[in-house]
Amino acid sequence: MRTKRADTVAAYLFLLPFLTLLTIFFLYATVRAVYFSFTDYDLFREPNWVGFRNYLALFQDALFLSALRNSVLFALIVTAIQTFLALVMAAVLNQKVRGIGFFRAAFYMPSITSSVVITLIFLWMFQRRGLINYLNESLQRWLPILVAFVLIALVLQVLQVLWERSRALPARWTDPALLVVSLLLAGAAIWLLTTLGMLSPRDVAPVDFIWLQTRDTIPAGAPFWLSVPIPLAAIMIQNIFTTIPTFMLMYLAALQDVPKSHYEAASIDGATATQQFFRITIPSVAPVTFLVLTLSMIGTLQMFDQVAIFGDAAPLRSVVTLAYFVYNRMFPGAQTPEVGFAAAGAMFLALLTLAVVLLQRRLVRSEGY
Amino acid sequence: MRAATVAPTTAEQRAFEHWQARRRWARAGLVYALMLGFAIIFVGPLLFATISSLRTDPLAYPPTLAIPQLQPGNWTAAARLGQAGARDRWFGGFAPGAVVPFEIAYFVPDGIEVIEPEVVVPRRRPGAGLGAVLAIEFAADYAEVYDLRRLPDVPMTVGDGDLTISGRRVAYAFEVRYLGEGPEIDRLPLDVTATVGMRYLESTLTASRLERRGRTASFDNITPGVLGYVLRNYVRTFNEVRSPATLQSLFLVWIGNSFTFAFFRIVVTLAIASMAGYALARLRFRGRGLIFMLVLFSQMVPLQVLFISNYLVLRDGIVTVGDFTLSSLWGYPGGMLNSLTGLIFVTALNAGAVFIMKQFFESIPREVEEAAMIDGASHWRRYWSVVMPMARPALGALTILTFQGAWNDFFWPFIVLTSPETIKTLPIGLLSFRNTYGAVGDWGLILAGAVMSAIPVIILFIVFQRYFLEGVSFGGGKE
Repeated sequence: MRTKRADTVAAYLFLLPFLTLLTIFFLYATVRAVYFSFTDYDLFREPNWVGFRNYLALFQDALFLSALRNSVLFALIVTAIQTFLALVMAAVLNQKVRGIGFFRAAFYMPSITSSVVITLIFLWMFQRRGLINYLNESLQRWLPILVAFVLIALVLQVLQVLWERSRALPARWTDPALLVVSLLLAGAAIWLLTTLGMLSPRDVAPVDFIWLQTRDTIPAGAPFWLSVPIPLAAIMIQNIFTTIPTFMLMYLAALQDVPKSHYEAASIDGATATQQFFRITIPSVAPVTFLVLTLSMIGTLQMFDQVAIFGDAAPLRSVVTLAYFVYNRMFPGAQTPEVGFAAAGAMFLALLTLAVVLLQRRLVRSEGY
Repeated sequence: MRAATVAPTTAEQRAFEHWQARRRWARAGLVYALMLGFAIIFVGPLLFATISSLRTDPLAYPPTLAIPQLQPGNWTAAARLGQAGARDRWFGGFAPGAVVPFEIAYFVPDGIEVIEPEVVVPRRRPGAGLGAVLAIEFAADYAEVYDLRRLPDVPMTVGDGDLTISGRRVAYAFEVRYLGEGPEIDRLPLDVTATVGMRYLESTLTASRLERRGRTASFDNITPGVLGYVLRNYVRTFNEVRSPATLQSLFLVWIGNSFTFAFFRIVVTLAIASMAGYALARLRFRGRGLIFMLVLFSQMVPLQVLFISNYLVLRDGIVTVGDFTLSSLWGYPGGMLNSLTGLIFVTALNAGAVFIMKQFFESIPREVEEAAMIDGASHWRRYWSVVMPMARPALGALTILTFQGAWNDFFWPFIVLTSPETIKTLPIGLLSFRNTYGAVGDWGLILAGAVMSAIPVIILFIVFQRYFLEGVSFGGGKE
């Protein structure tokens, strides 16, 4: 009994610094944010209790509605695309090869550098005369050659597979050895055609797509709740780019644990690569998928840094998110701070996050993981 | 190899084995090609930005990897010119007594009259923002162009295939001299304007840009020195951006602030998290479950909920009783906004670190401590002398992850450190670069600053890759 009490005293002494910080910067902060959200506090005058007025006002505020629309579309689109691409890339790379360490380090580069560095680099690439528009222009210029290359490679592949099958070898349409030959031969053919002058890049006008200083949306003229502002799409591209590698490596780790025998058995039964992907790969990494989806949804719903760094490079309405809305109402520049209103927005964001986490947890439970 | 291990088979079976081996090789080759492709995609933007940060204007169209700053010919020229300008082959300059020889060559098609080009040292302000304000001395006030002479013409043709134009190469040589006494000036800009039809070919140093439809070859600095030429934007980052009050180099100050912040945050995090982790992992006490639940829960609440109150807490000096504010203990009677101490306070709450330490302490077998327990050692002795020395790997990992977190942290410094410029950390400082220079399209300085600020974490990552990869399983993805 004595040791128990001594333990308790010692434990609280050990925990004292942490508990102090937790009390001031978490518990008190949370309680105060909840309280503020029911008041008209503006940093200067004493707060007055206003009930649910702030919460109701949120849904009549144009900036908040833009933020809500942007955050939800951002979270859904980015999560869907990056999860899917990460899984596909991991499945493609799931081979036991030497030197994976080097590539893994390379894949990680975007996710270890700070959001400011990555966002500044992307802002530079999204300028009107920047790299993204140039790549787009180059793609259009070289499109005929690219199409010709793909067509020639395709024809060569079909011919080779048919020939091997006629010799009773069980070649698949995606046979890697034949694919290498097809690609090399197609490359040689393209080289020949271009040097003979039978194929040449097209003349195209420079692409002048405006990514940042625009209020346009994709798709143009869609209903408010379904239209993605173009600057927000730029942030989406950046976010997908920086987060894919992390998720891809999580998937890769999970895929290495899937027994090879499953694929071999399916292969003997005649399952195609696509069928194997949907019937074996996806079900065996389902627990990782739930983790990835949860992490991705939380991260994207709370996106803040990119909006702050974009600053006046894009119209506020086109990039504002829920997290930035809270900041914007707390520090609205020359206007009076609306702390109560900001707090209500923050509570909404917290509840939305919580709802997503609980929903996903329930899904996981019902699936039995 | 494989054929040798199985029993002798028919020729047909051997052919089949052979066919399968070939497919394995091909598949490995394709996987390597794909990995290389992905690596290019993921490293590409960083690498391309690094290379473009050397360009005079990283926004010059089209984007290219063939930039003059990467041509060895320009390096030797830059060193020679730097030596001629200020006896400094690394950073160059323009000092009294300098005699800078320079040549420029044009292609002139047949039938176009050659007119001697006009060589001017312009009064050009460098860059935007403070750099422009601080430049008081201009090379134009001290420089004079001497001895402009035409070198012998060389016949040449340009173009290829059917479209060749014949003409000649017309070259001029001249000297730029520093007249009389005066201060040493950072740079010596130059504009050489030729007549219509004369096409700029080359010069001692490649022109920074061609203006007025290619008639004017414009040089930002013809006496740069090697580093002043190749790393021009990097030198500008340190030299051009200064605090108006103290004239300190802001970028240097920000680097210092970032290291200070990271250092103290590591110390504070290690101390608090290891103590709390030890108590949660090893001691049985009332409220343990509740505290652990709070640890988990506090990681789920968005920062935007917490920052409203935390901002006010810092502003009011943490705790105020009458006239006394707690923050005056650290020398901040007027609140802790815009101070690194305040930033360290508000970021010291790191529930993730507590969680990591708790997990680690639980993985140490209890028997290790039992010997100490029999000796009657206090909890503190057991924590400090027995468990902590064993926790070095975990503390090392936590140090590296905390450094990365502090170095890259954006949200809290953005809230807490707003003015003056000298209090900012690197990420926030870079943001004020963007606001100042991005607006006028001067991206060289922004990219150079961004690349430099990424270097410490990249080095750390290359050396301690293992810890970062473990960090993924600890803390999950990063947005």
